[in-house]
Amino acid sequence: MAALDKPLHYLTIHEAQKLIQSRALSPVELARAVLERIQAVDGKLHAYIHLMAESALAEARVAEAEVIRGDWRGPMHGIPVAVKDQLDVEGAAARIRQFTKGVGDATAVRRLRDAGAVMMGKLAMSSMPDEPPPPRNPWNLEHVTGGSSTGSGAAVSAGLCLGSLGEDTAGSIRNPSAFCGIAGLKATYGRVSRYGLAPLSWSLDHCGPMARVVEDTAHMLQAIAGHDPKDPTSSTAPAADYASALREDVRGIVIGVPRAYIEECAPRTDPIVLKLVENAIAELKSLGARVEEVKVPTLSLGTIANAVIYYNEFWAAHKSSAAWVLKHGAAQRRARIYLGLLTGSADYIQAQRVRSRLREEFAEVFRTVDCLALPCQAGPAPRFTDMGPIDTLFKHVVAEYHGPFNLTGLPTLSVPCGFSENNLPIALQLVGKPFDEPTIVRAGYTYQQRAGWHVKRPPI
Amino acid sequence: MDKLIEQSLTALLAREGLEPKEGDLQQFEKIIELYMSTLKTLHSVNLGAEELAPVFHPERTAK
Repeated sequence: MAALDKPLHYLTIHEAQKLIQSRALSPVELARAVLERIQAVDGKLHAYIHLMAESALAEARVAEAEVIRGDWRGPMHGIPVAVKDQLDVEGAAARIRQFTKGVGDATAVRRLRDAGAVMMGKLAMSSMPDEPPPPRNPWNLEHVTGGSSTGSGAAVSAGLCLGSLGEDTAGSIRNPSAFCGIAGLKATYGRVSRYGLAPLSWSLDHCGPMARVVEDTAHMLQAIAGHDPKDPTSSTAPAADYASALREDVRGIVIGVPRAYIEECAPRTDPIVLKLVENAIAELKSLGARVEEVKVPTLSLGTIANAVIYYNEFWAAHKSSAAWVLKHGAAQRRARIYLGLLTGSADYIQAQRVRSRLREEFAEVFRTVDCLALPCQAGPAPRFTDMGPIDTLFKHVVAEYHGPFNLTGLPTLSVPCGFSENNLPIALQLVGKPFDEPTIVRAGYTYQQRAGWHVKRPPI
Repeated sequence: MDKLIEQSLTALLAREGLEPKEGDLQQFEKIIELYMSTLKTLHSVNLGAEELAPVFHPERTAK
């Protein structure tokens, strides 16, 4: 193999697939490199809760043989991936499921396997029942990764897998992606099957890819997108060709910026986030996008409406195990049960009505713009010592940048857009029309290629 | 914690045969009170009588 300018574990999926297809890189060699990386640093990061080294090497050997005989399955063939514990994986018990049975492989996991991916194992998530050591941020071990796809953020960022599946109910793909300096794509609700995903909130849960660069999220989404008859919320709309959106060109794209909303959130947002996101929007404009201010009058209620539905559905989904959770569960889970119980039926219905209103308002906005741009976080990843056990819940209740897009099911992409003074990643969030993932992938990819933040590596 | 909220929560837990973990009501006081106050904000929006929650379609099944 020709000399690389980086270790194998830091290859992107996009780079690795070219090497594998041309037989310049063996999937076995790549899986071994990732396993060595896990061995070297996961003692500090705590990303994996179930490592499947033996079966991963066996799968890599199968992939290698297939590629050698010319049966290349596509960009995910031979790529080492790992998934958030919330997704069922055959052969690895879901620690989040104490009282419900898994289904073997979740559909999204099955589709990754069908695409030839090599399953490395399961990754930690926050508020797990027995509270294992929380994953640490590869950019600074004293800081959190963001949650709840905590292990996914740490593992992808530090080269412990090339891509991961996360789950997002109120920011859980985008928040760890932003904090850990990677790309995270929460596709439109119904785009990716939720079958085999332990539910937090049926109408808000989204499964989606987390990877080091935008192009990798497109390759992963291609593998997992599409209708699944086992998931009644799965859309029958055909999946797009996401890789075709990977071109460096935003000319003609109109980007809406909800400035009034950003200003409303500004008192709770670190100035560095506002500055770097403005810089990113200016960069997109300089590349040929048209930028317009948009108004979404009910947006400020999106976060609380999302929280009301989240906690009420969480309570309904976990009612049968509530006694156990209140006795042994993590603080976040206990608090969600109390809040779910306190949510009345009129509150839940009002939240659903706000959801309908907000969908109408976004539909109106998307008549004139192609996507929205706004911050993806209120600040850089905080220190563990500055985080209380239920701090995330405060984020769920006060207007911020994630919940409204779970509520409305719109596709959103988190893309790194710079670093704070203490070298912690900051991200831009792009939001698209329903099922128009290609536009946000195109805008995110163009920005990424121009800005170049994705080539920085964490110091671990 | 606001007495009315605390009594409501305790009663709702009891109705389900549950009791709070010791110390939880004190530990979670701020988030519970903030949540209850934002519920009021949620109801402050002026929605029309015909602005519905996502609607039921009798021809659609769950599968």
